[in-house]
Amino acid sequence: MQQTSPLKRAAHALAPLAWIGPAVVLIGVVVVWPVVAMIQSSFLKISRFGVVQGSNGTDNYAKLFEEPDFGGVMARSVIWVVAVVAITVLLSLGLAQLFNQRFPGRRLARWAMIAPWAASVLMTAIIFKWMLDPEVGLLNMLRHDLGLLDALGTADADPLGQASTAMPWLIAVAVFVSLPFTTYALLAGLSTIPAEVYEAAKTDGASRLRTYWSITLPLLRPALTVATLINVMNVFNNFPIIWVMTHGQPGYSTATSTIFMFILKGSDIGESAAMSVVNFGMVIVLVAIFLKVSKWKNEVS
Amino acid sequence: MSKRIAGVVTLGVAAALALSACGESSGGDGGGADKAAGGSVTLKLVAADYGDGPTADNSGDKFWKGVVDEFQAANPTIKVDVQVINWNDIDTQVATMVQNGQMPDILQTGDYSGFVKDGLLHKVDEVLSPNTQSDLLEKFAEFGKVDGTAYGIPFVSSARALFYNKDLFAKAGISEPPKTWDELKADAEKLKKAGVSQPFGLPLGQEEAQGESFLWFMGNGGGYKDASGAWAIDSAQNVETFTFLKDLHAAGLTTPNPGTKDRKTVWEDFAAGKVGMANGGPMSMPIFEKGGLTNYGVAPIPGKSGPLDTTLGVEDWIMAFNKNGHQEEIKKFFDFFYSSSAVQKISDTYKLLPVTKSGIEKLSTDEKLKPFLDALPNATFYPFTDPKWSEVNSQIKQTIGGAVTGDPAKVLGAIQKVAAAG
Repeated sequence: MQQTSPLKRAAHALAPLAWIGPAVVLIGVVVVWPVVAMIQSSFLKISRFGVVQGSNGTDNYAKLFEEPDFGGVMARSVIWVVAVVAITVLLSLGLAQLFNQRFPGRRLARWAMIAPWAASVLMTAIIFKWMLDPEVGLLNMLRHDLGLLDALGTADADPLGQASTAMPWLIAVAVFVSLPFTTYALLAGLSTIPAEVYEAAKTDGASRLRTYWSITLPLLRPALTVATLINVMNVFNNFPIIWVMTHGQPGYSTATSTIFMFILKGSDIGESAAMSVVNFGMVIVLVAIFLKVSKWKNEVS
Repeated sequence: MSKRIAGVVTLGVAAALALSACGESSGGDGGGADKAAGGSVTLKLVAADYGDGPTADNSGDKFWKGVVDEFQAANPTIKVDVQVINWNDIDTQVATMVQNGQMPDILQTGDYSGFVKDGLLHKVDEVLSPNTQSDLLEKFAEFGKVDGTAYGIPFVSSARALFYNKDLFAKAGISEPPKTWDELKADAEKLKKAGVSQPFGLPLGQEEAQGESFLWFMGNGGGYKDASGAWAIDSAQNVETFTFLKDLHAAGLTTPNPGTKDRKTVWEDFAAGKVGMANGGPMSMPIFEKGGLTNYGVAPIPGKSGPLDTTLGVEDWIMAFNKNGHQEEIKKFFDFFYSSSAVQKISDTYKLLPVTKSGIEKLSTDEKLKPFLDALPNATFYPFTDPKWSEVNSQIKQTIGGAVTGDPAKVLGAIQKVAAAG
């Protein structure tokens, strides 16, 4: 009889495990284990058939850092993230404000906003690639009909063929697919701001701009922070848009680190794993910088 | 947001599954000779799908079923189990089979050399009769050897030639396809004047830049390696070749921004009558005809001073694994296969070319296949037996297109550096 009491106590103490256990296992299997495996493989020599040929020390990293295109790829990844997220957030702030007003057809407009989100990113990217095809692309034919383009099938009709014109298009498509989520996150944030605050501001005679700057933005901050954070991670890891539209070409001139990692996988799996680790570190650093700048702890918790 | 999370979770699970598949021990030995009751033997055959997927009329399943039914009728004691896998998955699935010790008896895919080092394959002498061996094209069989011993048996091949749009040529007043680079350039200028937006289709993008470049290198006596077998990607001939292409591109006579264009796009543009001429293979014919273009001609590829007497040969392989002890049965199957009507059926269904002398003989009346068949016995191949090739190949695919816009010597030099490193 005396034995049951400690047993019971132990069972009692372990009871929560039954509830959080599945989640812990899931995180362990889906998140932690792949990360460990990724870091491990970045120190291994792996044949292209996937056979591990032993340890490779830090050679994979040395080789990666010596790649002539590595620096450019990393710089481009940062520009890509900053540009896409900044433009997305700015546009979304405007759109959210617009959708928060009452106007005829608002429901329809809100629904339409979901479309780019509902469509698969891959499909969206393919459609844009087709629209920009030098021979039969809809946008090019339109430009041709408007007299903005001399002839189809030329270099001028091929914006995706050169980095200087391809990058803006890639960024535009990435913004296009990121807008719905960001807008809706901000819209949700806007609806949490109580009307009384605005009334008080009105009574005090604050201008519209002043109201926006001193009331809307600060109160929107939690939503803005979460939306931006999720966008940073999403955009940094975005693969399909660039892969479908340019393959990172010409050369590596439109490749971000995710694309570079995938190309490396075709020739050297170990080096590709090293790139993954660098990528992983980079996301963490970017997120840490962002949280520091936005003083996440004070605001959200 | 939920969609994104779902995506992340799916990816994670897929990664975990892939990892666990790799993680499983490779301890199990091959099942041994699994003789069924009645003394019959089951051969496991794994093959790549040349068709348009499992439900298509030309699916690999249907093709192999035809072959196997015929074989089993002639050899009632041998049963053949066929598993057809698409090209994207076959490498990883076979790797998993090998790791788990569940080797097939016969494998048909794009490469054999990876299995030789681990001692998994029968020598060709053990599974192919001398008669069948002597029927194989020597140049093709030669590439099945590792250190002088043959392990890979050529299965099908493909080759390249110049396709030209006869209507556009007539419109531009050109009577014959070009034989030299100078003629090619002159014809391209005529085509341009006649309003053809892409006189020469030049796909130097990710899909197959290594093939297109190689064809041009050959035209100037160059290649990826020199006669001694050393890498020579930035040789003087190759640099000259790309300087010519650079001029062609600068004059607006090629596909715009060739370094970003895939051959499929170029072939589709050719089919749509936007491209005057382009290099292609028998496998591009269905694309042209699907696009409504039938009035095209096929000619040898122009070189600097005359048409190529060689072409780019690509071959796929069939091989026998030695773990299950089915040597005799495999031999019967191979000898049956190479003497059956299957060879003809492959080229009819998939527009792939035979690798046997008798096979070429049978197809020699086909007008459009003739330029390919003529060049086949003298074909040139990628240096794919070199362990560096896969790395060099992926570098070529990504960057060689830059040589038509930038400095050819510099771009080719950077690729040479990858090839020559360590």
